[in-house]
Amino acid sequence: MGATALQKDRDGLCFFGQISAAISHDLKNILAIINEDAGLLQDFSLLAAQGMELDPQRLIKLAEKVQGQVKRGDGIIKNMNRFAHSVDLPVCDVDFRELTELVISLLTRMASRKCVTVTLKEGEKVHGKGDPFTIQMLMAKGFEYAMDSAGRDGELGIEVSSADGVNAVTISGLGETLPEEQLAELDSIAVKAGSESAYVLQDNILILKF
Amino acid sequence: MAEKVLLVDDEKEFVEGLAERMELRGMNVTACTNPQEALDKVDAEGFDAIVLDLQMPGIDGIEALKHIKEARPEMQVILLSGHATVEKGIEAMKLGAMDFVEKPADINVLTDKIKKAQAKKMILVEEKTEEKVKDILSHKGW
Repeated sequence: MGATALQKDRDGLCFFGQISAAISHDLKNILAIINEDAGLLQDFSLLAAQGMELDPQRLIKLAEKVQGQVKRGDGIIKNMNRFAHSVDLPVCDVDFRELTELVISLLTRMASRKCVTVTLKEGEKVHGKGDPFTIQMLMAKGFEYAMDSAGRDGELGIEVSSADGVNAVTISGLGETLPEEQLAELDSIAVKAGSESAYVLQDNILILKF
Repeated sequence: MAEKVLLVDDEKEFVEGLAERMELRGMNVTACTNPQEALDKVDAEGFDAIVLDLQMPGIDGIEALKHIKEARPEMQVILLSGHATVEKGIEAMKLGAMDFVEKPADINVLTDKIKKAQAKKMILVEEKTEEKVKDILSHKGW
């Protein structure tokens, strides 16, 4: 295996690791909440055994909180499963809107940490062919750099469109100029994804074309 | 004496649940989901222990820890994390964190650490007071 292929593997592995770490962090938080709610039920039971009156409404609210967290965890695991299966085929039919939605969900924690709001604009499905994993890697990197550029309390708008045979993911709302090295990295991933990236400084937008 | 605790984590439901359980155990808890607000509280009030999430929006737990130790070195910080790495743990301890707890936390373990934090803080405050008294005595020449 050549050095370039090895580097490509390593970049992909790093991306997979980054996403897995974020998912594990979210799941740990969910477990922590359920743990406290279960602990509260235990505390209430002990107090009830000592004669304290139990409020049924309180118990219902606790049960609802646990159910809410189970639903949240289920959503995260579904996304994790879709992401994990994106390496199954090197090239296949992809829905760029669906992939964009998935990447935005996977980067929720990152956006929250960076205090940036990311909104996907309404639109139709956008079909094409490509390597879903590398496409997600390009999108994630583009979103990450766009978040850094937008800065704290920034608002990014993401639009998935198709015109004249070109599918595009347009990220608007960037702030600070993207550094050259970030643009070079995006270009490098875009080549692997069979796409290209374009940065329009005067409009503060980043376009990923597929 | 009830331990005065500041609990900081951006997961609202986690903070609410843990705060209630700590209060049931006799602690005086101030819960906070906004890290900046928490730092303002640290500047304004005294706490025996600060239970602080390592990863929060807008501010890194390590940065928050640095701020607390600079502003109020006597305050004891227990870091909470969903994905503790050894490196982060070592960095936190070097910066003066008293302990590191991984989520989901065992309430008995956490309670024990908070009690230790209160005792440690009391010793530090007593030492500081003693130093002040000595300083006053040596300057006044009584």
